[in-house]
Amino acid sequence: MLNINILRKTKHSVIALGSHIPILQSMLDFEYLASHDEPSLKAIIATGRKYVRMFFGKKEVLIPVYESVLQVPPEIKNQITLFINLSSARRVLSSTVDTIDGFQKLMGGTIFAENVPEKHSIELYHYAQKKDVFIVGPASVGLLITNKLKLGAIGGTQAQQLVDSKVFIPHGNVAVFSSSGGMTNELIRLTSQAGKRVSFSLSFGGDRFPICIPVEAFLAAEKDTETTHIIYFGELGGYDEYELAYLIKNKKIKKPVLAYIAGAISDMFETPPQFGHAKAMASRGQETAQAKARALRNAGVQATNSFTEFLALVKRIPSKKIIDPVLKHEDVENRHQALFINSISHDDEDGSVKIIGENLLKLTEQPLGFIVVSMLLGRKVKSKELSQVAEFILKLLVDHGPYVSGAINTMIAARAGKDLVSSLASGLLTIGPRFGGAINQAARHWFEGVKTAVEPYVFVENLAKSRNRISGIGHRKYRIDYPDPRVKAILSFTSKLKNKKYTTFALGVEKVTTAKKGNLILNVDGAIAAVLLDILSEKEKLTSQELEELIEIEFFNALFVLSRSVGFTAHYLDQRRLDEGLFRLTPEDITYV
Amino acid sequence: MARVKLTEHKAKSLFYDFLGYSYSGVSVKTGEKIPVLSSKKTYVVKVDQGVKKRMKQGLVKLEIRNEKLEMAMKDLEKKGYEHFIIEEMLPHESDEEKYIAIERTREGMTVTYSKKGGIDIEEHRDEVKQIILNDRLEMRNGKVERELSLPMGFISKLREFCDKYYVSFLEINPIVVQNGKIHLLDLAVEVDSTAQFFVASPKTSSSIRGGLARRSLGEGGWNEDDIVSEKHKSPEEMSVAILNKKSQAALSLTLLNPNGTIWVLLSGGGASITLADEVHNLGFGKELGNYGEYSGNPNAEETYLYTCEVSALLLKSNKRRLILIIGGGVANFTDIRITFKGIIKALEKFKNKMKKRNIKIFVRRGGPHEKEGLEAMEEWLKQNKMYGLVSGPNLPLNEIVRSALKELKS
Repeated sequence: MLNINILRKTKHSVIALGSHIPILQSMLDFEYLASHDEPSLKAIIATGRKYVRMFFGKKEVLIPVYESVLQVPPEIKNQITLFINLSSARRVLSSTVDTIDGFQKLMGGTIFAENVPEKHSIELYHYAQKKDVFIVGPASVGLLITNKLKLGAIGGTQAQQLVDSKVFIPHGNVAVFSSSGGMTNELIRLTSQAGKRVSFSLSFGGDRFPICIPVEAFLAAEKDTETTHIIYFGELGGYDEYELAYLIKNKKIKKPVLAYIAGAISDMFETPPQFGHAKAMASRGQETAQAKARALRNAGVQATNSFTEFLALVKRIPSKKIIDPVLKHEDVENRHQALFINSISHDDEDGSVKIIGENLLKLTEQPLGFIVVSMLLGRKVKSKELSQVAEFILKLLVDHGPYVSGAINTMIAARAGKDLVSSLASGLLTIGPRFGGAINQAARHWFEGVKTAVEPYVFVENLAKSRNRISGIGHRKYRIDYPDPRVKAILSFTSKLKNKKYTTFALGVEKVTTAKKGNLILNVDGAIAAVLLDILSEKEKLTSQELEELIEIEFFNALFVLSRSVGFTAHYLDQRRLDEGLFRLTPEDITYV
Repeated sequence: MARVKLTEHKAKSLFYDFLGYSYSGVSVKTGEKIPVLSSKKTYVVKVDQGVKKRMKQGLVKLEIRNEKLEMAMKDLEKKGYEHFIIEEMLPHESDEEKYIAIERTREGMTVTYSKKGGIDIEEHRDEVKQIILNDRLEMRNGKVERELSLPMGFISKLREFCDKYYVSFLEINPIVVQNGKIHLLDLAVEVDSTAQFFVASPKTSSSIRGGLARRSLGEGGWNEDDIVSEKHKSPEEMSVAILNKKSQAALSLTLLNPNGTIWVLLSGGGASITLADEVHNLGFGKELGNYGEYSGNPNAEETYLYTCEVSALLLKSNKRRLILIIGGGVANFTDIRITFKGIIKALEKFKNKMKKRNIKIFVRRGGPHEKEGLEAMEEWLKQNKMYGLVSGPNLPLNEIVRSALKELKS
């Protein structure tokens, strides 16, 4: 049940199902103008991006985006109190049910889509009653509580419209209800132009079976401590007004009601046309605008079929003394989106450079491993283990002799007389799937293996079947009986971990592959991938989803690139010092086929 | 949109199929060939365009022999109809005719029934009974079936059918049972047009529609081709209906009086009806040429096309004085600058013809970017000497109608 007093008292957290930026932005603008500390919008369910940038005043804020209700993290999930459903009509039923089931503190929400099937609306009506949540809509511009809450397009989507609607005084006394979204806004405006202020307002939506029925809204207004008068825009079609008349006659609603029932014109037609809204067709006599207005009048409501008369009635509502607050209007106008968002570093107000939130000079006191991985992760490293293993990897990968492809290209460029940056780039550009880029691919193998809980031998067979080689496995020189001392050193970093599921899986794979061929051992790339995954998961508490994202953005190759840049640079300087001149192959070096 | 009627032929194909019966009715449109039917039987020819009380209006031809079918159809065509249904005649006594209807309501499916069905159902109002089917009240243990002598389980079948095909309202009058077999002599079905996605059937070609006794006819639900067009629409109304189908926004146009004086280009479901009411309340309802509205933030191209259709209708009116009201409330999210850009582009196209008829245009609108939109409109109307009034939300919604009518009276 809709309870305005409780909604006024609660600090809300809102989730948006689907993204309609102008509407969501107008909700943030409303809250900014109402001097709220922070936006209530906490999450958006949509696809294709991770954040939506929005304005709160002049400042930009990031609203996280999730692909489904299930993916919303618990700390957000546990605080959600309201939803706004902006998804398409086809998805309204399923997405609303998911939301009602998914959030324990949920009080209710609004549904924006038009053309929701009647059957779905009725199902949602019964489900909402069972679960004790309110749902305004479908086809509704939403719910507005003056200076407190704007859940939808209601009141307008431009900041100027909100200002003109004068919905920022905390003690408005007129509740405004309408089946029509446009008329809701119109009535809010007319009310404020007439020198009254709105207490709260909602639009039922023009469908045949609105989920929040007029009776529910009227009872909410009756209970609301701020509301003294109710104004109502109804239309021909349906029987809602008869229920209202019954409640008013029986003194369940005692506050004065002013109503305009639109659609008197329908009388002119033998077969009336379908008017604007789905329900706006009077197929039976009781459904006509005239009959409904008459029923309300009989119950003591000031009901009319003329908008002009209705306006005159609204003007006669006694108004309280009004002092509208001064709004920080200029902060919600002429805003420009920044070109980039960034979470690594910035110039602080005191003039110093801050890197991952730390003063640069202070940061230099930290170990290199800590600085590098913190920057790569975009947040401070929490565990010693990660700093230490990173520092070790940075040192370990610094060079592997002049024979490897990247070093050769660097040297050739240097001998061709190219400058430092060009020669280094030439070496770096060689890094890819066959040279240096295997750590990330190995990380993907171990991650997938653990995620799907597949047996190592099945995993190996599957890859063999698809004729793919396994990254992180195999070495030219080292064999099972002649182990790589570097691998042993890397693996030693996991000795104090509890689960080390990724390392365990990688070693399981090695067991299968070395049984086939002695040199198919876990190599440096594979070991680094496994150990990093384990430490990130156990010591840094990264979720499986976060690990997957690191693989997606090539985090695991970054340490190689950084470290080996030192080696390439050294080879460049070395070649320049030795200055042998242009390198060239002779015909004997190439076999013509 | 909302509740719409299926053709009787489609409705019967679906329902008979659902009941596991075969159905031999034929659907024929003007210009299509009537299939050769049995010369031993007689047939019923009915208009299949969702018209109520067909029998009383003479839109049903009974006991027609094969060779007379074409003549019967021609007769009905003369009355302005183009879509017909041909079925075998079922000899029966009038006391075999029962009535049953089911409607989707908030509380559940409401069943209305009567032992005395047929065309005079309204004369036996006392016999009509009603029950609501919902999960708590199971099917009342065959109460309805017993009273109407229907096969047991029919009511639950009926309910399943309504759920499966998103039927909002279904009326069988009369329903006749002979030797345990159900005959739906007249079936009217209203479906929820918004549910088309959930029941969509692949579009049926006209050759299949005309085929006899095809079991497959009922399969796969209904689509927009199965919805009746109750009256003949003008090309302008048709164009807007097509535009509406293609658009994310909602656009509608109904011609009320081809020779009206007052023409409207309105936005918003509620505001449009309020403005039309105002015309009616001030005593000019008969002068209203059209009704219609656009909403849901159409783009400039869409409002351009929409305005072209309204303008075309307006210019066809034979009235000496013509007025156009471009009206709407304070939009929540429809962009005024963009929608007005389209409207102005269309007015530009028709401006010479409009000037010749000395048309005055009255505008009242609010919403996102209203300032830019209203300024552009005012400038254009003044330049082209069609300015009646241009106003934002400071003018109460209804006042624009009063101003326009004042001009008309002067």
